[in-house]
Amino acid sequence: MTAVAEGTAPLTTNPDGRQTNRRPGGAKRALQYTVLTILTILFVSPLIWMAVTSFKTQADAIDPTPQWIPAHPTVSAYDTMFGSADTPVLRWFLNSVLAAAGQAVLVVATAALAAYALARMDFAGKRLIFSTIVATLFVPAVILIIPNYIIVSKFAWLDSLTAVIVPGAASAFGVFFLRQFFLSLPSELEEAAYVDGAGPFRIFWSVVLPLSKPALATLALLAFLTNWNDFLWPLYVLFSAEQQTLPAGLATLQNANAVRYDLLMAGAMIAAVPVLLLYLAAQRFVIEGVSRSGLKG
Amino acid sequence: MSTVDAEILSTGAGDLRPVERKAGRRVSRYGGRWVPYVFLLPYLALFATFVLAPIVIGLWVSLHVWDFTIPRKPWNGLGNYKDLFDSQSVVGPDFIRSMKATGIFTLFSVPLLVVVPLAVALLMNAKFKGRNLFRAVYFAPYVLGVAVIAVLWRYILDNNIGLLNRYLGAIGLPDDIAWTTSTPAAWFALIGVTVWWTLGFNAVIYLAGLQDIPAELYEAAKIDGAGRWQQFRNVTLPGLRPVLMFVVIITIIASANMFGQSYLITQGQPGNETRTAIYYIAETGLKNFDMGRAAAMSFILTLCLLVLSGLVMLAFRERKGASR
Amino acid sequence: MTPTPLSRRNFLGLSAAVGLAGFAAACGGTSGPPGTQQQEGGGGTFTGTYDGPNVALAFWNGFTGGDGPYMKKLVDQFNKEHPNIKVTMTTIRWQDYYQKVPAAVQSGKGPDVGAAHQDNLATLAARRSIQPLDDLASELKLEENDFIPAVWQGGVYQGKRYGIPLDVHSLAQYWNSDQLSKGGLQKPPASKEEFDQAVSKIKSDAGVAQPFWMPSLWPAHLIFYSLIWQNGGAPYSEDGKTATFNSPEGVAALTWMVDQIKAGTSPRNVAIDTQYNAFKTGRNAGTFDGIWQINDLKTTAPKLKWQMAAVPQIFDKKAVWSNGHNFVLMNQPKPDDNKLQASKVFINYISEKSAEWANAGMIPARNSARQDPSFAKQPQAVVAADVDSFHFLPAVPGIGDVGFQGIEQAVAKATLLQQDPKTALDNSAGVANKLLEDNRKKFGG
Repeated sequence: MTAVAEGTAPLTTNPDGRQTNRRPGGAKRALQYTVLTILTILFVSPLIWMAVTSFKTQADAIDPTPQWIPAHPTVSAYDTMFGSADTPVLRWFLNSVLAAAGQAVLVVATAALAAYALARMDFAGKRLIFSTIVATLFVPAVILIIPNYIIVSKFAWLDSLTAVIVPGAASAFGVFFLRQFFLSLPSELEEAAYVDGAGPFRIFWSVVLPLSKPALATLALLAFLTNWNDFLWPLYVLFSAEQQTLPAGLATLQNANAVRYDLLMAGAMIAAVPVLLLYLAAQRFVIEGVSRSGLKG
Repeated sequence: MSTVDAEILSTGAGDLRPVERKAGRRVSRYGGRWVPYVFLLPYLALFATFVLAPIVIGLWVSLHVWDFTIPRKPWNGLGNYKDLFDSQSVVGPDFIRSMKATGIFTLFSVPLLVVVPLAVALLMNAKFKGRNLFRAVYFAPYVLGVAVIAVLWRYILDNNIGLLNRYLGAIGLPDDIAWTTSTPAAWFALIGVTVWWTLGFNAVIYLAGLQDIPAELYEAAKIDGAGRWQQFRNVTLPGLRPVLMFVVIITIIASANMFGQSYLITQGQPGNETRTAIYYIAETGLKNFDMGRAAAMSFILTLCLLVLSGLVMLAFRERKGASR
Repeated sequence: MTPTPLSRRNFLGLSAAVGLAGFAAACGGTSGPPGTQQQEGGGGTFTGTYDGPNVALAFWNGFTGGDGPYMKKLVDQFNKEHPNIKVTMTTIRWQDYYQKVPAAVQSGKGPDVGAAHQDNLATLAARRSIQPLDDLASELKLEENDFIPAVWQGGVYQGKRYGIPLDVHSLAQYWNSDQLSKGGLQKPPASKEEFDQAVSKIKSDAGVAQPFWMPSLWPAHLIFYSLIWQNGGAPYSEDGKTATFNSPEGVAALTWMVDQIKAGTSPRNVAIDTQYNAFKTGRNAGTFDGIWQINDLKTTAPKLKWQMAAVPQIFDKKAVWSNGHNFVLMNQPKPDDNKLQASKVFINYISEKSAEWANAGMIPARNSARQDPSFAKQPQAVVAADVDSFHFLPAVPGIGDVGFQGIEQAVAKATLLQQDPKTALDNSAGVANKLLEDNRKKFGG
């Protein structure tokens, strides 16, 4: 082995079996930590600023001298937010959760069924169907906005959560992703179930799905996040305050209160804190799920 | 029973399929011939209604003078498309300006969004104390969603009382930059906020890709005398290629579709300079109900995006062939 | 090969498929959008009361400011006095309102009654969002000579009446009383000379470096409208077919606005709402804003001592931008006679309560209500004294968007010092004229 020099390090085997180069201590480590810490400050301080401002009075929020500690701490912004019928922030949050969860369920359910057929079954038109689905992977969503609005309007779904859940639930990525996954599963278990007399639906439900939990969970997570973050569509298809999701509602709030930064930060906090709490609890799962999406099968 | 007769053929990709009988009749362990279609039905119903039909409807709408609220929708052939490139028409100049806005944003944000998260991921690649904490912090903004981020940053970027200008002034730089109402400051603002928002997302994907590169490759490179930079070029980059291509493509698509930041932070200001193409399409079609023109715009934008994605994939594929 | 019978139906995919199919079938036959035939306002004679079965009415408006609570109070009163009618009020910011109403009506989810600005009535009518209500106007015994002519005419589009006028409102000026008196002035300036004098006195004697902030966005274009009318020009031709705001009178008007910034009376790059906020916190001395801000000032700046007056006469004529709220009846896919009757009763009720509505800072539309002694006590009476100076935009469909893409852009560019007034106005006039022609083709003449 070469001598330990700048940039090289002895190989160590970590508990998970991976081998990594552990950096030597000292200056390198300190530099690394410094950079990462600066980044952390850049990431965390705006969030702290948001939190702090939500407890300021209207005047303090527009004080040219930044107040990291409010001069006159108050919950008046929150009072206004919770008290006004035009800004039901908690309702917006609930709508967002319902919409995102609803769409995630729909995405996973439809994609799993379709992907299984495409992975394991032979039938007329299979190639055509699959190529059509894959082709739409590259079609940008912008082309669907106007026509889907017309369709949704004809179905009388405007201003209801259905409009935010159903149209986007046909996920070509989901089918592609799950098909890859199903293809990678060894088919012995399915074979065995068939030999035991199980029908295709039973095989799918009792054998394949339980094996696919990580992939299904990843897809559900991605679908949830995509819908959660969706802004343009809900902004235009949801009108009334009770039907809006968080992004649309916050936009309404900002439009109506351009410089009431105390209110805006309070609204943002009400939108952010539950999400952050959920995230803290499930953070490992979320991040690992996202990481998997970039790797093929 | 069919499974006893069927041989399992394995293709190179690990694809397992029952073999086809020579007579051409498909053998399936999956019951009746209609079973696959039942499995496909839910997805295809959604797909046909909300993906395929809209593409056709959109094309149809784009060939008419189509206002959502007016019954009369006369045929217009390619008139809408011509209007988009006609500097004398009502929409032409605005459309070109909005495409330009999308172009500027994509051009300048994509490199940053591809490179900076990679740098951060490299920094975090080794296992060290607190890594998961850092990773969680950088990813956090993404979960918050564009609305929270944009409302927060509009406040920080406020011309008079925003934190950014206050601190810039404190260190001696100009403290009155109109981040949200003037260009090019607005572009810096929009790009900066987008990087802040999605850095963690891309970094996490990179990290997974980096973890996947076998350590032996680095070992071998080092034995060959490769320095850090050469290791990066010859081991890391090739190993990351699929992930890199994935990140580049999703970043391009996300940047070309940027709407929320522009709507909430700059409102398309100054004038309409930061009004992106998709923002203009939404305003034209869903606010002014001029759907014929909006549909035509969306087809043009789609065409451009398809070409761009194609070029990216071509670029990545070529390099792969060349390096052998 | 033994085909396995279909069993175990209780799983996600199949039920989803069935559910979707059923849903699609149910929705396939929904009633189409209204307005393929324009509905005639009708439904029997109006007795002033509603005796039918219980109905629920949806009432949409854009009263997001200080005026909202007053309308809400009136609605609550109405609900109490009419046990068989329940009106639910929904408030949407005006800018979004004019987008959401046609979309909602088109998809059958529109409200029953709404409030709308006078200059948007033509647009809503042309988009078939609202229905004519000539008969309601006569049943309410509205008479032409009881209204300002422009207000009376403003509700008519293509020979039919679409709006019942509720109020009139205009731009006004607000000044900080303390700083006025420090500058040796008793009341807000009434002319160009007095304005310049006020500004310089307050700069020197009251220590306010920038006494008057010129906005670049809302309500900058309202200031521009007022000034161009004062100068003898007009934003559009009388028939609403051409943009005329780039006339020399218009250029002079916009130049005056820009001059305030160049002279240092106003800072540059005044972001939206900041000039009004600065007034509330005493950082500037005066601001132009609508009379509707009266209540917002009372609630959110209670300690501020202020005076309101009609806008100063900078040029030769007395003129000020004005608008008005009207009641409208929405088109419905399936006309419901009971709801129609109830809506008319509601409109009648509110339009008789103009005294209470005046508390919201509005000026009653009817001359009789304005001349009533109880109105004289309202702060906005000082502005109402001169209704002849009220100018309204022409009733042309789509005029709102033309203004947004045309004049508002020019005013913004000029006040942000990105273009000189003449260039900005000329460019915008080109855009506006194209839009006007486009609209004529779309909406039909």
